Amino acid sequence: MRYILERLGFYAFAAWAALTLNFFLPRLMPGDPATALFARFRGRLAPEAMQALRETFGLTDAPLLVQYFTYLGHVLRGDFGISVAYFPSPVSQVIGTGLIWTIFLAGTALIVSFAIGTLLGIVAAWQRRGWLDTWLPSTLVFLGAFPYFWLAMLALYVLGFTLRWFPLGHAYGDDLTPGFNFEFIADVVRHAVLPIGTVVLATLGGWLLSMRNTMIAVLGSDYVNLARAKGLSPSRVMLRYAARNALLPSVTGFGMALGFVLGGSLLTEIVFSYPGQGYLLVQAVRNQDYPLMQGIFLVITLAVLGANWLVDLALLWLDPRTRESS
Amino acid sequence: MAEPLLSIRDLCVDYVTDRGPVRAVDGVSFDVGPGEILGIAGESGSGKSTLAQAILRILPSPAVISGGQALLEGRDLLAAEEAELRELRWKRIAMVFQSAMDALNPVLTVGEQIVDTMLAHGAASRGASRARAGELLEMVGMSADRLDSYPHQLSGGMRQRVCIALALALEPALLILDEPTTALDVIVEQEILIQIRELHRRLGFSVLFITHDLARMLQFSDRVAVFYSARLAELGPAAGLRDAARHPYTQGLLRSFPGIHDTGRDRTGIPGAPPSLENPPSGCRFHPRCPIAVDRCHTEAPELRELAPGHVAACHLAVHAPKIASGTGGAMR
Amino acid sequence: MSATSAARATGIAAWWDAIRRDRKASIGAALLAVFVLVGIVGPWLVGAPDALVGVPLQPPSGAHWLGTNGQGQDVLAQLVVGTRVSLAIGFTVGLAVVLIGALVGVTAGYFGGRVDALLSVLFNVFLVLPGLPLAIVIAAYLPSGPLTLGFVLVVTGWAWNARVLRSQTLALRRRDFVAAAIVTGESSFTIITREILPNMMSLLVAQVIGSTVYAIGAQVGLEFLGLGDVSAFTWGTNLYWAQNDSALLTGAWWTFVPTGLCVALVGFGLTLLNSGFDEITNPRLQMERAWRAHLAARGQAATRSTPVVRDRG
Repeated sequence: MRYILERLGFYAFAAWAALTLNFFLPRLMPGDPATALFARFRGRLAPEAMQALRETFGLTDAPLLVQYFTYLGHVLRGDFGISVAYFPSPVSQVIGTGLIWTIFLAGTALIVSFAIGTLLGIVAAWQRRGWLDTWLPSTLVFLGAFPYFWLAMLALYVLGFTLRWFPLGHAYGDDLTPGFNFEFIADVVRHAVLPIGTVVLATLGGWLLSMRNTMIAVLGSDYVNLARAKGLSPSRVMLRYAARNALLPSVTGFGMALGFVLGGSLLTEIVFSYPGQGYLLVQAVRNQDYPLMQGIFLVITLAVLGANWLVDLALLWLDPRTRESS
Repeated sequence: MAEPLLSIRDLCVDYVTDRGPVRAVDGVSFDVGPGEILGIAGESGSGKSTLAQAILRILPSPAVISGGQALLEGRDLLAAEEAELRELRWKRIAMVFQSAMDALNPVLTVGEQIVDTMLAHGAASRGASRARAGELLEMVGMSADRLDSYPHQLSGGMRQRVCIALALALEPALLILDEPTTALDVIVEQEILIQIRELHRRLGFSVLFITHDLARMLQFSDRVAVFYSARLAELGPAAGLRDAARHPYTQGLLRSFPGIHDTGRDRTGIPGAPPSLENPPSGCRFHPRCPIAVDRCHTEAPELRELAPGHVAACHLAVHAPKIASGTGGAMR
Repeated sequence: MSATSAARATGIAAWWDAIRRDRKASIGAALLAVFVLVGIVGPWLVGAPDALVGVPLQPPSGAHWLGTNGQGQDVLAQLVVGTRVSLAIGFTVGLAVVLIGALVGVTAGYFGGRVDALLSVLFNVFLVLPGLPLAIVIAAYLPSGPLTLGFVLVVTGWAWNARVLRSQTLALRRRDFVAAAIVTGESSFTIITREILPNMMSLLVAQVIGSTVYAIGAQVGLEFLGLGDVSAFTWGTNLYWAQNDSALLTGAWWTFVPTGLCVALVGFGLTLLNSGFDEITNPRLQMERAWRAHLAARGQAATRSTPVVRDRG
C-alpha cells in the first residue's frame, strides 16, 4: 500500500510541476506579459477578450504569490480560462469532446501495439531463427524510423486517396449523428483504421524488440532451467515461467511510452483531421490561443499521469515483489 | 555392484565458443548404485555442475554433449527424444540447484511451483496435488501454510528446503544436489544436510552430491569422486579416500582443511591455480601443481587405475608410491 | 584490473571493432556516411531551394528529379539543403542531451543520498510529462527558429539519458576498482572522470546515437506543426508545407515521400549502428551464433534439451 501512495505522491508532484510551469511560462516573455500578449494580437482582440486573457493568467496587479494561488484556485475548479480563438467559449468546453477522440485513438493504438508486439516478441524469442526473429524485427524497426505522421500521410495517400479503401479524414461521416447504434460505431471504426493502424505499425517494432530481448535474458535464468528440468511442457515454460517474468520490464516501459505515443498520435490527428487534441492544438498554435494551448497541455499531462498510475497498479498485480513495502 | 541406477561412460561435454569448442567434461565414467550417495568434489570451473546438468540434458546453449553414454535404469538418456526426456525428468531424476533464490520463479507461489510439476506428470487433481505439496513441505521441516508464500518472502534456508521438497515431489530414483548449501550459512547448511540424510534413509533414493567442500562430502557420502579439470582424478569409498587418498590432488585437498582439534600442523594448500579449460596442460593436467610430478606426467595423461577394491586413481605414481596417510584429513565429526 | 584496461574492454576501440565485424552496424555506418556527405557538400551541388523554377506540383522529371512543390520550387534542392540543417540540429541536440543527462545522472548515481533523491525526482518528473505538448507550449512563447527548437528538444529529451546513466553509475560504483580509488583518497571529481566515465564510454556513444535519432524525429515533428522557422528549409518544414499545400489530396506524393524516406533512412542507419553495440553487451547472442553454426555443420537442428553430437574424432 505504501507503494501506491508513494506513486500517487509522485504524480501529484508532477502535476503540480506542470501547473507551475504553465503559470510561469507567460511571465518569462520579456516585459509585461499582458502588454506582450496584446502586442502579438495587434489589436485583433476585443477588449473583453483581452480582459478574459488577463484573468486566465492571473495577470492582475496583485503580487506574484497571490496571482499564483488565484491561478491554482481556478485550475483546481476546472476553470482553464476563456479560449481566444473560440471566444467566448471557455477552454474546458472546447477541449471537452476532443479529449475523447484522442484517448480513443492513442489508447487503442497503444494497447493494440503493445499486445501484438509483445506476443510477437515472446514467440520470436522462443523460436529464434524463424523468419519471426530475422526479418520481422528489422522491418518493423525500419518502419518505426518513419515519423508517425509521415506514415499517416503515406497511408492516407495510398489507401485513402488512390485506392479509396478508407475515408480521407475525420472521426465519422458528416452525414451521421453520433449515437450508440451499430451504423455509427461501424463508421467510427472505418474512420479509425488508418489513424490507429499507422500508429500501431510505427510502434510495433519497439515492443517486439524489447520483449524479445528481455525474453532471451529470462530464458537463460535458473528458474527457467529448473522449469525445464521439472519436465513441464514447453508452452508452460514459455508462458508461465519466462513470459510472465519478461513482461514486467515491458509493462514498466508501457508507462513511459504513453507520453511518447500520445505526442506522435497528436501529429497523426492533424494528417487525418481527426477531431482530437492534436487538431485543437495546431489551431491553438496558429492562432496563438495561449489559454487553449496551456489548457490542452494540462489536460493531456493529467491524462498521462493518470494512465501512468494505472500502469503502476497493474505492475503491483503482476509482480508480487512490489506488494511488500521494502 | 548390483545393476547400477545410473551408468556414465566416457561422457564428453563441450561449450561451443567463437574460438572453438571448450571441453568441460572429458571422458568421465562412473556408476551410481541404487540407494547410494556418490559425492563429486572439485574446484570451481572443474566441470562438476556441467556434468550434473548434462545428465538431465538441461544445459543451455552453447553446450553440446559430444560423446559417451549415459544410462538411467538401462534407458539411454543421450538418445532420448524430447517427450521421453520430459517424462523422465523429475520422475526418475530430480535436481536441487545451487542458488534457490534464482531457481524459484519469483511470480508464482511456492505451492504453485510444486503443484504444476505434479500436474505435468499426470497427477489427478489440483486439490490432491496441493495436499501432497503440503505434506512435502512438512517433510522438509516447513509448515504447510507456506504453500501460498512467494519465494522472496522466505529465508534462504527455507527456499532451499522448498527446492528439496520440490525435487522429491515425484519420488525420483536419483536426486542430484548441485552445491545445495553453498549460498547458506554454516548452521543452516548443517540442518539442510541432516534433513537430506534423514529423507535418504527414509525414502531410499540415490544421491549425486556435488560440492567443492571435500570435508563435508566425505562425511556425507558413501563413495566420492574427485574432479580435476574436466576429468576424474580419483574415485573410491569415502572412508578409503579420507584415510588413504592416492591422487596428489586429493591429498592436497585433504591437507587444506583444518581439523577442529588440530594444533600447529602444517597447513599446505595446493600451489598455483586451476588450469583453464580452453588451454589445459599437456599430459596429466595436474602436473604443474603436483609436488611429485615426473617427466612422464608432462607428456602422458594417466588412466584411471584400480589401486584397491572399488578405489581408482588417475596418477602414474599412485601405484608405486606408498599410501600417504593424511591423518584425520580434517573431516569434522 | 586497472581502470584503463577495463575501459579498453568497453571503450571506443571495442565499439569500433564491433561495428566492422557486424554486418548490420556496417550498413548503418554507411547509410549515415552518405547523408553526412550530402549534408556537407550537397548544398553546393543543387540550385537555390527558394528559387521559383517551374510550374507548381510537377511530378519528377528530367529537369527536376523530385519534381516541384506547391510554390513551384525544386523539391530535390529543398531536400538536400534541409539535410544539412536537420542533421546538424539532430547531432547537436543528441550530444547536448547526453551531456546534460550525464551530468545529472552520474552525479545522482555517484553521490547517492539526498542528492540522488532530489535529482531523481527531477528527471522522473521530466520523464513523465508528455514531451510533445510540453515542447509546444514552451516553443509557442519563444521566438521561432533553430535555437528555440534546440532548446525545447533538449528540455524534453535529457531526462531519459539521466535515468540510464544513473543506473550505470550505480552499478559501476559498486565495483572494486572504484572502492579502491575511494580508499586511496582520490577526489570525487577524479574518480568520476578517471574511473567511472571511461568505463561508460561505449554506453555514452550508444546514447548519443540513440538521442540523435530522437532529436531528428522530434525536430521534424515540431517543424511539421509549424513551430520551427517556416521560412527555413529543413526536412520538417518541407513536410509542413506539403501538408499545408494539401499535397496529398492533389496527389503530389513527391513533395513528402522523399523527405520522410530520408528521415527514416538516417534514423534506421543510426539504429543499425547501435545494434553493433548490442553484441558487446549481450555476449549470449554471440555464443548462440557459434553454437548454432557448430550444430548446423553437423547436420543437426538446435533442440531445447542439450543436443548430442558425435564426431568421428
